[in-house]
Amino acid sequence: MGQAKETWKKTLLIVAMLAPALLITIGIVIYPIINTVINSFVDAETGAPTLRYYTYLFTDELARDHIVYTLWIAVLTVAISMILAYLLALYLRFSDTKISKTIGTLYLLPRFIPNLVTIYAVMTIVRDSGLINRIFMAFGVNFKPGLLFNSKGVIMMNVIFNIPFATMIIVAALSGISESIVESARDVGASRFRVFFQMILPLSFKDVMIAMVFIFMSNISSFTTPYLIGRNHPLLLGVYLRKTFANREYNLAAAISVVIFLFSAVSAFVYLYTNLKEKDWESRAPQ
Amino acid sequence: MDETIKLEIRNMTKLYKNGDGVKNINLKVRKGELMTLLGPSGCGKTTILRTIGGFLQCNAGEILIDGKNIVAMPPEKRPTAMVFQSYNLWPHMTVYDNLAFGLKLRKIPKPEIAERIADALKLVKMEGMEKKYPNQMSGGQQQRVAIARSLLLKPEVLLLDEPFSALDAKIRMQMREELRKIQTDLDITVVFVTHDQEEAMALSDVTVVMNKGSVEQIGSPYEIYHHPASRYVADFIGEMNFIEAKLGVHTAIRPENITVRKGPGGDLDGTVRNIMMLGHYTEMIVDTELGLIKAFLSGGEAEEFVRGEAVSLYFSETKEFSE
Repeated sequence: MGQAKETWKKTLLIVAMLAPALLITIGIVIYPIINTVINSFVDAETGAPTLRYYTYLFTDELARDHIVYTLWIAVLTVAISMILAYLLALYLRFSDTKISKTIGTLYLLPRFIPNLVTIYAVMTIVRDSGLINRIFMAFGVNFKPGLLFNSKGVIMMNVIFNIPFATMIIVAALSGISESIVESARDVGASRFRVFFQMILPLSFKDVMIAMVFIFMSNISSFTTPYLIGRNHPLLLGVYLRKTFANREYNLAAAISVVIFLFSAVSAFVYLYTNLKEKDWESRAPQ
Repeated sequence: MDETIKLEIRNMTKLYKNGDGVKNINLKVRKGELMTLLGPSGCGKTTILRTIGGFLQCNAGEILIDGKNIVAMPPEKRPTAMVFQSYNLWPHMTVYDNLAFGLKLRKIPKPEIAERIADALKLVKMEGMEKKYPNQMSGGQQQRVAIARSLLLKPEVLLLDEPFSALDAKIRMQMREELRKIQTDLDITVVFVTHDQEEAMALSDVTVVMNKGSVEQIGSPYEIYHHPASRYVADFIGEMNFIEAKLGVHTAIRPENITVRKGPGGDLDGTVRNIMMLGHYTEMIVDTELGLIKAFLSGGEAEEFVRGEAVSLYFSETKEFSE
């Protein structure tokens, strides 16, 4: 009996300690989410349940453009960032020069500069009358990079923002691969190419997936970059959401939010799946 | 033993950026011979091994296998195979895939691969482990598979970089014996790096004792133990007493070459400071005017003595080293 009472007391204590955090989470995260989901199914004029906002988003040609465009930009950003980050990480891990060491200490710095500042800084360089243009003008060439207010510019900015993070994850994964794994592969006759595809890539695959999921999630709902340097149509979902909100179409905005949330949820699922699923070779067996 | 030289290193120098490394190394390993490179950490033994394997580029000199200079070849082209200290196996591959990897690269037909793998696993007593992943095996088992993997490629020279140092003492001894058996059965040429002098003694045909990037002595374990070429070798291999009877001249006596008698009148006299029973022999520490001397006595002999007793020491085999 006494023991049961102890356990009960302990449980109560745990609940009491968790309660504040739980209440705050419910108040500022869970309640708005539920509220938004409900609003997205409610007709603004009649107050009756409806699917019209979702039907609109997925059937209206202009609205559908936004969704497809957003996915397209996010996928391209993920692909380009990962390739560049992987190459950089390989260089940082396997090159032992002063240059690689310097880059190794500096590559994370851009993360500490506020996005807005970076965007404006890059704009002054790449805009059609910017630094690059001026330098070319000095040689009598009127070269316009044409990187602003179109997809190229948005992807370029996204890639700039995501490379440090992706590189950090991959560098960590690559430093977990011991030198003797690479050397023993070379020893039995594998070329560098083969070492990469049969040793390094499979051994860092999990971390690559995780980095991809994070980049995808942050880009599916990105706002600042496309708002400042994106084009007018199609819009990224973040900008479209703001536009809808500004037009006081709150219920449509709610539906857009839910769609963004669903895309994130899918990637979160991929993340959990890769992270939780342990292959035979990954489990820690008693030595 | 065959007299042909399998591996020869000529005037090889490999220096690191910080100035460490090895200088003017000359070694000859005969076919079917097991040579150990022995020395404390930082003496350059692993450097030599890695230059043979192609993982380090030497600054000068030649490395010849069967008379052919291999210095310019990358590791994958060299007829050598290396077993590393640890993390040898590729963790994402089963034992079978680990063993098959090199054979597949050589485009060997599948049935032959399977056959050769079965033989190799049998050789290292790991039959039936094909489907295991490295993390499902003990350290000793992993090193067995690593050795099998290296042997499968039929290397001209097998290189081992302290392969047993991460294993516990008992397994280490067992692996040592098995390696020696496999090596003599298959008549393969082996270069084995170790910092453990006992391991070097037990395994080698020839031991190379190294110190600070250069070779101190090359010889059979017997030669090195009984006729050390320098004070360093004498000190590094086995137990050794050093006494400075004359200025600048050190006399070295092994503890087993000392006879202890009661009373004064020996080569050196002193009093018994401590007697330690160590199984089949007893260690006695004698306090003399030239310092503490260690002597090994057989169990029975030691019982006659007590601590504090005056004794005389008689030396049967000594060696002198001048500074």
